[in-house]
Amino acid sequence: MTGDATLLELKELDKSFGGLRVIADLDMVVKEHEIVSVIGPNGAGKTTLFNLITGIYRPDSGEIQLDGRNLVGMAPHKITELGIARTFQTLRLFLNMTVKENVMAAQYGHTKVGVLRSMVRTPGARREEKEIHRLAEEKLGFFGDRLMGYRWDQFAYSLSYANRRRLEIARAMATQARILLLDEPAAGMNPRETHEITELIGKLRDDGGYTILVIEHDMHVVEGISDRVVALDHGVKIAEGSFEAVATDPRVVEAYLGLRKTETK
Amino acid sequence: MNWSLFFDLTVSGLTLGSLYALIALGYSLVYGILKLLNFAHGDVYMIGAFLGWYALHALGGPVNPTFTGAVVLFLMFVVAMLGCGVLGVAIERFAYRPLRNAPRIAPLISALGVSIFLQNSALLIFGAAFRDYDTFDLIGVKTYNIGQLFFSVPQLLTVVAAIGLMVALTLFVARSRLGKAMRSTSFDREAASMMGIDVDRVISVTFFIGSALAGAAGVMFALVFGQIYHFMGFIAGLKGFTAAVLGGIGSIPGAMVGGLIVGLAESYATGYLPQGSTFQNLYVFALLILVILIRPSGLFGKAAISKV
Amino acid sequence: MEQPPDTPRIGVDEWVASVEGKRERYTGPRGAVLKRWERLPPAARVLVFATPAAVFPFLTSGGNLFRYGLFTLVYALLALGLNIVVGFAGLLDLGYVAFFGCGAYMYAILASPQFGNHWQAEAAIPVVVVFTAVVGLLVGLPSRRLLGDYLAILTLFFGQAFVVFVNNANRISFPFVGHADLTGGANGIANIDPFNFFGYRIDSTRKQYYLLLIAVALVLILLMFVNESRTGRAWRALREDPLAAEVMSIPVNRLKLLAFVFGAAVAGLTGAIYGTIATAALPGDYDVGLLITVYAIMILGGFGSIMGIVVGAMIVNNIPKLLHSSANARPLFYGTILLAILVKLRPWRLLAAELGGLVAFGFAIHGIASAAYPRLVDGESIGSGVSARALDHWMLFPKNPVKIADVAYILLVAAIVVYPQLSRVWRAVLLPPLLYLVMFVWENLLLVHIGGATRLILLGAMLVALMNIRPQGLFGTATVEIA
Ligand SMILES: Nc1ncnc2c1ncn2[C@@H]1O[C@H](COP(=O)(O)OP(=O)(O)OP(=O)(O)O)[C@@H](O)[C@H]1O
Ligand SMILES: [Mg+2]
Repeated sequence: MTGDATLLELKELDKSFGGLRVIADLDMVVKEHEIVSVIGPNGAGKTTLFNLITGIYRPDSGEIQLDGRNLVGMAPHKITELGIARTFQTLRLFLNMTVKENVMAAQYGHTKVGVLRSMVRTPGARREEKEIHRLAEEKLGFFGDRLMGYRWDQFAYSLSYANRRRLEIARAMATQARILLLDEPAAGMNPRETHEITELIGKLRDDGGYTILVIEHDMHVVEGISDRVVALDHGVKIAEGSFEAVATDPRVVEAYLGLRKTETK
Repeated sequence: MNWSLFFDLTVSGLTLGSLYALIALGYSLVYGILKLLNFAHGDVYMIGAFLGWYALHALGGPVNPTFTGAVVLFLMFVVAMLGCGVLGVAIERFAYRPLRNAPRIAPLISALGVSIFLQNSALLIFGAAFRDYDTFDLIGVKTYNIGQLFFSVPQLLTVVAAIGLMVALTLFVARSRLGKAMRSTSFDREAASMMGIDVDRVISVTFFIGSALAGAAGVMFALVFGQIYHFMGFIAGLKGFTAAVLGGIGSIPGAMVGGLIVGLAESYATGYLPQGSTFQNLYVFALLILVILIRPSGLFGKAAISKV
Repeated sequence: MEQPPDTPRIGVDEWVASVEGKRERYTGPRGAVLKRWERLPPAARVLVFATPAAVFPFLTSGGNLFRYGLFTLVYALLALGLNIVVGFAGLLDLGYVAFFGCGAYMYAILASPQFGNHWQAEAAIPVVVVFTAVVGLLVGLPSRRLLGDYLAILTLFFGQAFVVFVNNANRISFPFVGHADLTGGANGIANIDPFNFFGYRIDSTRKQYYLLLIAVALVLILLMFVNESRTGRAWRALREDPLAAEVMSIPVNRLKLLAFVFGAAVAGLTGAIYGTIATAALPGDYDVGLLITVYAIMILGGFGSIMGIVVGAMIVNNIPKLLHSSANARPLFYGTILLAILVKLRPWRLLAAELGGLVAFGFAIHGIASAAYPRLVDGESIGSGVSARALDHWMLFPKNPVKIADVAYILLVAAIVVYPQLSRVWRAVLLPPLLYLVMFVWENLLLVHIGGATRLILLGAMLVALMNIRPQGLFGTATVEIA
C-alpha cells in the first residue's frame, strides 16, 4: 500500500518558547499514502510540531520540505494550498456558519472567482459555485449520514462534540490537501465513535488517497491505524517504528510511566 | 538653533507627555487584564477635570479659597481621583462585565456607547462653554528652572505629581498582594481564577486605579492650560492610547515612555515641522503608523504568541 | 459559555440541547414568516423593500421626502458599506466616515466652481469610487497586521486626521504646484454640481431619491451575491476565527484589505451622492457624530445582516427627527418605559402595586413640596393641553430647574448603577421613587435639551443596553463564542 516516494520531510527541526525547548533536533519522514501516528505524553510537543508544519509558528532552525520544497517562512494559507491541511485539538470551527459553509469556506485556496465576478454572478462564477457545493457535499458524505441531510444547514455550534471533530476533518479535506494532520481526532469520543473514527482514518487513506499524520492518545486507535509510530518526549524523538516496537520500547514506557508517577489522576 | 525655543518646547512636551502617560496607564492596565479597549477612558479624564473644577468652587473658588492653595489643590486631586475611580468601577460593572463572553466587538461598541453617554451628559450638565480654572491667584505665576528649562508651577506640579503617581503604581503592582494578583490575572485570567484569585475584584481595582490616574491627569491639564470643556476627552484619549500602543500596550513602563514620546513629539512638531501648530496631531498619527509598522508590539511590548 | 476543550462529552451534551431548545422557540407564526423570508431569492427580498420605497414620493411632500426619505437612503447606503468591513470581516473601522468625506470632497473637486471642473457624472463617479478605494487601501495597508483593537484606534485617528486636513488644506503649500486651496478650509466647497449623466441632470429631490434608491437596491443585491460567494464565506470565516481561516487556505490579510477597500468604495460613492444633495462639502459633516450614527444603524440592524441595515437606517434616521418636538418625544419615551415595565414586572399584582405606588409617591412628594418648598413647584411642564397641566399637579417643576435637575441627573445615573445590585425586596420598594426620579429628570432636563445632548445620551445608553441584551443587534442571528 505504502509508496516509496517521500512526501514530507522534517530536517533538524528546532523550536523553543522562551527558554523551553519544545521541539529538539527533530528529523522525520512521511511517505506517500502512509499513516504515521505521533504519540507522547502531554506537553511532549506534538501539537507544536503540527503548528510548525502548517506555518503557524516558524521554526528556530531546520527545514520542512514538501516534495522537496522548503515550506519554512511561508504563510499558513500558502502551505495549505500546497497540500497540507489540519484539524485542531481544541476545535476551531467557524461556529456561526453552517456545517456546509464551513466546508465550503475551506475551498478558498483552490478556487479562483474574484469578488467582482461573484458580484455579478457570471456563468463562470456560477459554475465554480456549483462545483464548490458539490465538493462540500462529497466531503461531508465521507462520514456516512453523520453530517448529511438536514445537518448541512445547521450552525456548527449546534453540533455534538463528536460531530464537530468530524466536521473539522471534512473541512480539512475540502482544502484539497494531500496530507491531513489530525490532532487527537478521537479525543472526547465514546468507544463506539472512537471505533468509527479508526475505520474512517483507514478509509481516508484507502478511498480518499490521503497521506495522514495523526496525533493520538488512545493506544487502541494508534494500534488500529498506524503504518508507523513516532514517539516524542520533551520534543525529542525517542522511538520510531511499528506500533509493537514503539509500544514496548523501554524509553517510551518510561516516558509514559514517569508521567503517571508525577500526575495524580 | 534657537535654544530657548527648544527648551520651551521640551518643557511643554514633558508636561504633555506626563499627562498622556497617566492616561496611557489606564488604557494599558485595563487592556493588559481584559484585552479591552476602553474607549470611555478619555471621557473619564474629562470628568476628572470637571470634578476638580467643582471641588475648587466648593472650596470657595480660586480667588478666595477656604484653605491655603496647597490644601485646595490637594483636595481637588482627591475629589477628582476618587470620583473618577468610582466612575470607572461603575462603567466596568455596567458596560463591560456582562459582556465578558460576548463576541469581541460587543464590548467595544458598549465602550463607544459609554463614551457618547459621558460626553453628552457633560454637555447637558456643564454646558457647551469652556470653563476657566483661573488658578493664578491660588498658585502664583512664579517659574522655576532646571538649567535652561523653565517650568511654571502647574507644569512642575504635573511632571512631579505624574512621576510620583507612576512610582507609586509601579511599587503597588510589584509589591502589594493586589498588585501581584493584577499581574497574574493579566498573564492568564483563567489560571488566576483557578488559583483562587477573585478576578472580578482585581478587575474592579484595575479600573479604579486607571480611572483615578485619568482623573488626576484631567486636573493637571486644567491647571496647566486653564480651560476645560466637555469634548476635551476625545483627543486626549486618542493620544493616551497612542502612547500606550507606542510603549507596548499592557506594559506599565511602556505607557510612561510612550506618553513622554508622544508629548515631546507633539511639542517639537508644533515648533519645528511645517504648519506644526495646525497639523501636530497628524504628525503624531504618522509617528504611530511608523512605530506600528516597525514594531507592531510597541517599544516595550512582547510579541504575542497565541497558543494554538 | 466556556468549556474546557478536552472534557469528554458523550452523546449529546447538555449545552447542545439548550441551544436546540432556544431554536425551538422560533417556531410558530413568527418562525414561519422568518423561514419564508429566508427562502426568498435576493432579488425578491430587495423588491419587498424597494416597492414601498418607490411609491413613497407620491405619498408625501417634498420636504418630508428630503428629511425622511433621502436621508434614510443615504444612511442605509453608508451603513451597507460599513457592514462589509465590520459585519462581514469583523474589522472595527472607526475612520469610516472619512472615506465618505473623501468621496464628497473628491466629487466636489471634480464638479464645482472650486477648480472650475464640471465633470460628467458617468466619468466623475468611477473616479471618485476608485480614488476612495485607493485611500482605503493605503489606510488598510499598515493596519492589516494589527489586532482588532489597534486597527480601531488607528482608523479613529485617521478619521480625525481627515477632518483636520480638510479644515486646513486651504493653507497648504504643496511641493511643485505651490499654494493651492484644495478643500476650501472651514468653509468647505460650495455649489457642487448635481449629477449630470450624459446630459440628464439629477437636480430635484425626487430624482435624487430615485437615484439613491437604485444605488441602495443595487448595492444590496451585489452584497447579497458576494455574501453567498467564496469571498463572502471567507470574510465570515475570518471574522469567526482568523487563525483557523488562515490555516484553511484563506489569505486573511489580503481579505481584510479587500473588505476595507470595498467598504471605502461604497462610502466614497455615498459621499459623492451626498455631495450633490447637500450641494456642499463641509468639514463638520464628517465627524464623530456621523460615525456614531452609522454604527448605531449597523448595530441595530445586526452585524452582517444586510436587510437589517435598511430597517436600522429607517429607525435611526427617523426616530430622532420625530424626537425633535416634545409632543412626539413624550409619548415615545413613556411608551418605551411602560413597555419595559410591562415586560419585566411579572405578576400583574406587583405591576399594579408599583404603578399605584408611583402615582401615590408623586402626589405625596408634590404635596410636601408645595407646603414646605414652594420653589420646587413654581414652574410648569413643557407643552400645553390637559395632560401637561395635569402633570403640573403631580410632578415637581421648579421654575429654574437648572441646578436641581443637574443634581437629579447625576443622582439618577448613580441610582441606575446601584439599583440592580439591591435585593429583590429593596428593588420592589424603591422602584416607584426611581421611576419618579426618571420622570423628573426627563421632564425638567432631558426634554428641555431634546434637540441636542439628550438625543445622543439616549443613543449612548441604548448602545450599552443593546449590547447587554442582544450583542448581535436587533436582526442579527445569535452568535456563539466559545473560548
Ligand atoms: N505559544 C506557546 N508559547 C509558550 N509555550 C508554548 C506555546 N505553545 C506550546 N507551548 C509549550 O510547549 C510544550 C508543548 O506543547 P504542545 O501543545 O505541543 O504539547 P502536546 O504534545 O500537544 O500536548 P497534549 O498532549 O497535551 O496536547 C508545552 O509545555 C506548552 O506549554
Ligand atoms: Mg496537543
